[in-house]
Amino acid sequence: MQNTSALELSFQMGEVLLKNGAEISRVQETMERVARAYEIDTFDVYVLTNAIFATGVEQGVEHAARLKHIPSTTIHFGRIQAVNQLSREIAEGRHSVEEAFAILGEVRAIPYSRLPLAVVACAVGSACFSYLFGGTWRDALVAFVCGVVLELYLYWTGKRGLSKFLTNLSSSALVTLCGAALLLCGLGDNLDKIIIGSIIRLVPGVALTTSIRDFFNGDYLSGAIRLLDALLVGGCIAVGVGVVVRIVWLLAGGVVW
Amino acid sequence: MVVLNWLFQTLVAFVSTVAFSIIFHTPKREWLCTGTTGAVGWLVYLVTMGLGGGTVAASFFAAVALTWISRVFSFARRAPVTVFLICGIFPLVPGAGIYYTGYHFFMSDNSLALSTGLETIKIAIAIALGIGIVLSLPRGFFTLRREGK
Repeated sequence: MQNTSALELSFQMGEVLLKNGAEISRVQETMERVARAYEIDTFDVYVLTNAIFATGVEQGVEHAARLKHIPSTTIHFGRIQAVNQLSREIAEGRHSVEEAFAILGEVRAIPYSRLPLAVVACAVGSACFSYLFGGTWRDALVAFVCGVVLELYLYWTGKRGLSKFLTNLSSSALVTLCGAALLLCGLGDNLDKIIIGSIIRLVPGVALTTSIRDFFNGDYLSGAIRLLDALLVGGCIAVGVGVVVRIVWLLAGGVVW
Repeated sequence: MVVLNWLFQTLVAFVSTVAFSIIFHTPKREWLCTGTTGAVGWLVYLVTMGLGGGTVAASFFAAVALTWISRVFSFARRAPVTVFLICGIFPLVPGAGIYYTGYHFFMSDNSLALSTGLETIKIAIAIALGIGIVLSLPRGFFTLRREGK
């Protein structure tokens, strides 16, 4: 692609936003704002959770473009915010198309958090939630360990490209197993509080929230896609946890927690 | 004593929300705001529960409060609302409901599974209404400075 097309720029900015977890109306508004700033004629764009359709007339030539992408769960707010900033600057007329492309390239290269930091964050988050939902500090400690295991496992499956369905199912089963094992070793007090804390990393909070936002903005189709996503993920977690609890319960000889 | 406990829990909610901001790669300079959003949401949740409201009502009011503060931060920091909203919502998302539903379902306790499942969906709807209502309000409610920049 030539790096001077404003249409292409608008399109790529929309792509970055969508991939990193922005809601539909933001993608649409940003693309329209950029198109207006560079005076693209008859610009039309339609955005779905997993596709962007855009057409516009640029220098007398009609361009049509479309994109499909696989719905990914990698949320990156840093990039969303950076694109937002860029679009505001473009609207103020501060960048040429080439400059904007260069900045967009930098935005794309904003790194993810390093693994050790992510592991600590996940562990601390799990421990905190375990406490907030009524666990003791011993429960929080076990949830901390489960959080470490979970984030490492998620990193590994992310590299392997395991499907989302299977990832949620297996990782919720794994944390339950981990929590139950530690509990049977005499650590922790309540299995339920430990697991509630540990699965919070998997719970579809992002899908739920974005789905709500899409619905209230009138993007019903995208909202429905995300809502289904949230329900499926929630169901997967419930199944993963439930099966393991049941098995452990049978193996442990019917002890009720 | 109750107030002290609430304050400590709010602090824990702050820390956990910051932890989630890291997981979602939020820029470092927004951590204070995302943490505050989560803490406010949890505090409202606790107070509503303490006043005798159920989990559904508490989730609703907490969602309203934290969406409100997300929008205030969004204008003050010139950042998308999503950043604060999603990080802050995590303490409210019904993880406990999902767990108990799965637990009772696989323990063959059908009536309990059904009631916890319905409760979970109710909480989700309460959160949805809370967020939706506040997001639909006109922007004038949230700008700290008077209009005109």
